[in-house]
Amino acid sequence: MTAQQDEFEARAREALDASVTRVNGRVRSRLNQARQAALAEIGARPRSIWQLPALLPAAGATAAAVLVALAFVANRGPDRGFAQEGAAFEDIEMLSDGDGLELVENWDGSFYEWAVAAGEEGGSGA
Amino acid sequence: MSAFATLAPVYSMPAAPHGDVDLPDASSRARLRALNEFLASVELKAFRIAQITLRHEDDACDVVQDAMLQLARAYAERPAEEWKPLFYRILENRIRDVQRRRMVRNRVIAWLPFRRDAEEDDDLPDPIERAPSPVAGPVKQIQVDETMQALEAALQELPARQRQAFLLRTMEGMDVAETAAAMGCSEGSVKTHYFRAVNALRARLGDFWS
Repeated sequence: MTAQQDEFEARAREALDASVTRVNGRVRSRLNQARQAALAEIGARPRSIWQLPALLPAAGATAAAVLVALAFVANRGPDRGFAQEGAAFEDIEMLSDGDGLELVENWDGSFYEWAVAAGEEGGSGA
Repeated sequence: MSAFATLAPVYSMPAAPHGDVDLPDASSRARLRALNEFLASVELKAFRIAQITLRHEDDACDVVQDAMLQLARAYAERPAEEWKPLFYRILENRIRDVQRRRMVRNRVIAWLPFRRDAEEDDDLPDPIERAPSPVAGPVKQIQVDETMQALEAALQELPARQRQAFLLRTMEGMDVAETAAAMGCSEGSVKTHYFRAVNALRARLGDFWS
């Protein structure tokens, strides 16, 4: 680049810079307001929930609780009502009852057959 | 930096009236401060570039405002060194939009059977509003005015790309790489546009500036 070009550019730069310093107050005020509006745009931008690290543990705990509740409901089918659950408990109680098992082991069928027959005869004869 | 930059710090502004408002942490505050400083450093030059190209003060203010908003909305999270080329690229696009709208409007108006005299009255400058800043004496000011008027007239004669390359390089002081990023072209194209612009301006202003 020649010295003439350098001189020309320096002069042009000087003129342009001088014109910048002479921008009037109304324009400076408008530009200042525009800048503040642009910055406010960032400040007012709603933050995504995923950008809040403080909420992540609470969100995780809530998600885990919902999963547990869903698993409980899914495993509890419609045929598992309260009454049948009661019968199941009775079965367990009978199986665990020692007296009941002893009665079955010492089963004397002839005695019970005689008792039934005697009862019927006594009933009809009375 | 503009003298007005300190009049209304961004952190003293009222909160937005709706929605959840981000409470800026330290890094966000630092980024806001950096963006504020950047915009304050380019706003006057950007306005002058837009004004030289559009030859209309309000339109120039509008395009600079749009460029600021667009930069803040879309590119605030980008590295600060990318802001300047991005900002001037947005600005150039906005300037081009205004020029296109003007062309369409002029075509439409050319078909109308009447002219809007009232609109022309609105364009008359307010002498108080247009009073320049008192930074130079009257004689010096006249010289600066004449020099600038001649330069602006010569810049108007340049092709858009040459004018853009010249203003970004000379006025904003951007290097070739930054100018290429702002103009969306290669560095070689920037050099060519700039070289041609300087030669054309020298040929036109040589007598005036000698």
